[in-house]
Amino acid sequence: MRAIVKNGIAVFYPQGFLDGSSAESMISIDDIKATEGLKTDLVLVSLQKVIFFNKNGLETFVRMLTKVRKANHSKIGFCDYDLKKFNSIMNFFKDELSFSLFNSLDTASLFASSFKNQKKNVLVFNESKSQRSVMAIDLHNYGHNPIIAQTQKEFDEKKKNTKAYDVIIENTHIGSMENGSISARVSGNAIIYNIASFLDASITNSFNIYYHNNSLKAGFRLFIFEAYQVVNMNVHAVNFFSKLASSAAEYNATICFVGLSTEKTTKKFHETLEDSGIMFFEQLDTLLDDKKLLAELGASTSTNAKDKRSLNKAMITQLPNFIEATVDTIKMMTNAEAKKESASIYTIKIQETENKIASSIGFYGDIDGMIVLIFPKNIAKKACELLIGEETDDKELIMDALGEFVNIIGGKIKSLLADNNIRIKITLPRTYDEVSELLTVADNRKGVQVDLTFDNDHFSFFLTR
Amino acid sequence: MITIDEIDNFIDKIPPAPKALKETLALLSEGELMKAAKVAEQEIVLRTYLKNLVNKPVYGFQNEVNEVSQIFGILGVAGSQQAVYNYMLTLLSPKKWVLFDLNEKIFYELQAELSVRYNKILKHLKITDKDIQSAISLVPASIIVAEAFFKNHKNDVELIKTTSALDYNTILKRLSGMDLFDICERISMKWEMPSKVSQVLQTASGIKPSSKQEINNVGKWIHLLLFYELSQPIFIEAGLNDFIDFQVDFVQDIYEEFIKIMEVER
Repeated sequence: MRAIVKNGIAVFYPQGFLDGSSAESMISIDDIKATEGLKTDLVLVSLQKVIFFNKNGLETFVRMLTKVRKANHSKIGFCDYDLKKFNSIMNFFKDELSFSLFNSLDTASLFASSFKNQKKNVLVFNESKSQRSVMAIDLHNYGHNPIIAQTQKEFDEKKKNTKAYDVIIENTHIGSMENGSISARVSGNAIIYNIASFLDASITNSFNIYYHNNSLKAGFRLFIFEAYQVVNMNVHAVNFFSKLASSAAEYNATICFVGLSTEKTTKKFHETLEDSGIMFFEQLDTLLDDKKLLAELGASTSTNAKDKRSLNKAMITQLPNFIEATVDTIKMMTNAEAKKESASIYTIKIQETENKIASSIGFYGDIDGMIVLIFPKNIAKKACELLIGEETDDKELIMDALGEFVNIIGGKIKSLLADNNIRIKITLPRTYDEVSELLTVADNRKGVQVDLTFDNDHFSFFLTR
Repeated sequence: MITIDEIDNFIDKIPPAPKALKETLALLSEGELMKAAKVAEQEIVLRTYLKNLVNKPVYGFQNEVNEVSQIFGILGVAGSQQAVYNYMLTLLSPKKWVLFDLNEKIFYELQAELSVRYNKILKHLKITDKDIQSAISLVPASIIVAEAFFKNHKNDVELIKTTSALDYNTILKRLSGMDLFDICERISMKWEMPSKVSQVLQTASGIKPSSKQEINNVGKWIHLLLFYELSQPIFIEAGLNDFIDFQVDFVQDIYEEFIKIMEVER
């Protein structure tokens, strides 16, 4: 069984009866290796469709998930259960819970560096004082506003006012081993990392370099380290940030620190960081509110236009595979027949931008580049119907499904290229509800554009580097 | 990926029930066990199938049973009818499974386990209706249909399943408007099975409750029984655990009773 990934969370969905032997059959070593490769913040097992479980079944899953945690620093645990199941798990494991429990996937997403769930007002209650504190700190670190009820009575009173809270958390537990990784969140087009305490060589383990690199690939150009709680750092940490700044420079990206005063680090270290291109600001809010400054720092995707690499032979050779994967996937999802209209090598050209939506997905490995797909809204809707299950005009739902759909295309490309011994990894897809937004990323980039029609609907595929 | 034309084509190609089987079933429905056994005895493949089926450990017979007349005598009218329907279904099953990691032996194992445990449930529910007793035989048809339609799209479906928690039944329904159980119903019609069989089957999908209380209740038990079976390592490894969507809420009220009857260790 493979985990399903959404918003940086990998979830296994077993069904039926879960005991020691069935759990072992549900997740294989290959599944665990594949999950490790996903580099997600959270790896969970949903208990929504499990009607029966025992301690052996849960322990087997925990043993497997622990391997992913060791490799990736991901949080692990279970989600989607009712009070009865929660009490059973707490009873099975008493005070030895090394994994987390989230009553729903929505709750879990608050503890992931996903692109959503920011600045949410979250009402929290847990009987354990230490659990309340852990959740409050974690939620704050992930950019939310936790409101902690100290007693059951206070919680019951507060939750009556449903409009006051975006999410209410109960029957949730953060495991004792769930720490060590650096949290990340997104604000506009900037990624904000939260760092704390004394920074030393261990930062190389706690920082998710894959997430960072993928973010660069996906077009993010401003990375902010929120360092209010940093006490000091040593030369190993300074070297780490210097290297990070050098690699960011290749993408024309900027790295900033906020809240790190010169009193906390030695002058020499501060200068070394400045020399490597890192910038320092006092307050995060001041920085985020200054749109002009943000644009100058790169928190606008338009800086991408500076990176205009040409297509190479390896990419051109594989073009038929890229097209085949895209066409096959759209055909598979819509049962529509594709017709190729034209192909040209130059910059992206979109004749009509009205009623179109787009998505881009990066890839790297043996070859690297970016695929841009421009859909007429109705074909995107049609393609997403299989995933959504109904016709809808809900823009957010369509954009969400479009991301999943483009992920499927990316997966198909990956597998077709693998057949030709070309190994690639794909980044998270970015979606654009306006084509003008996409043009800030792709305009002036040289690449191959293939125009197709699916049942008379025009669709454009653009491959670039 | 899959169109309604392909589905129609698939149904058109299903062969009618063989004459000897029809005759056996007709005699069984009249309660003529010995006459039915005599007809069935002439069908070598059916005879071998029945012999293999009832000698599986799940049936619990200490001595090997060889003669069809013996088999029908032990199983009784309803049990024999169920066994013949089970055999009919094997006429549709592929020689080589592609989508699911199954073979003839494992598939027969599933049929046998479903039949024996279903009979235990019917005994508990005190249901003696022959048609309802036969209904379990059609349940594995949904697996055969999923195999037939998705075997050529295995990689594509796996890609979809890594981004969305979609089961084969939902994918087929969204693509063609028909689900696995609708197709099984068409098979049962073609084979002139009693209408109650397909009514129970549709309810057992977990997504189409019946307005008839008895049918609905039996459907619930079959749905839970199916997932009890599909949670066994052998069937999980065959890829069957998530081939349809388990409707936990639908079976919640019978869960405790089920656990007791099946003697599930907590």
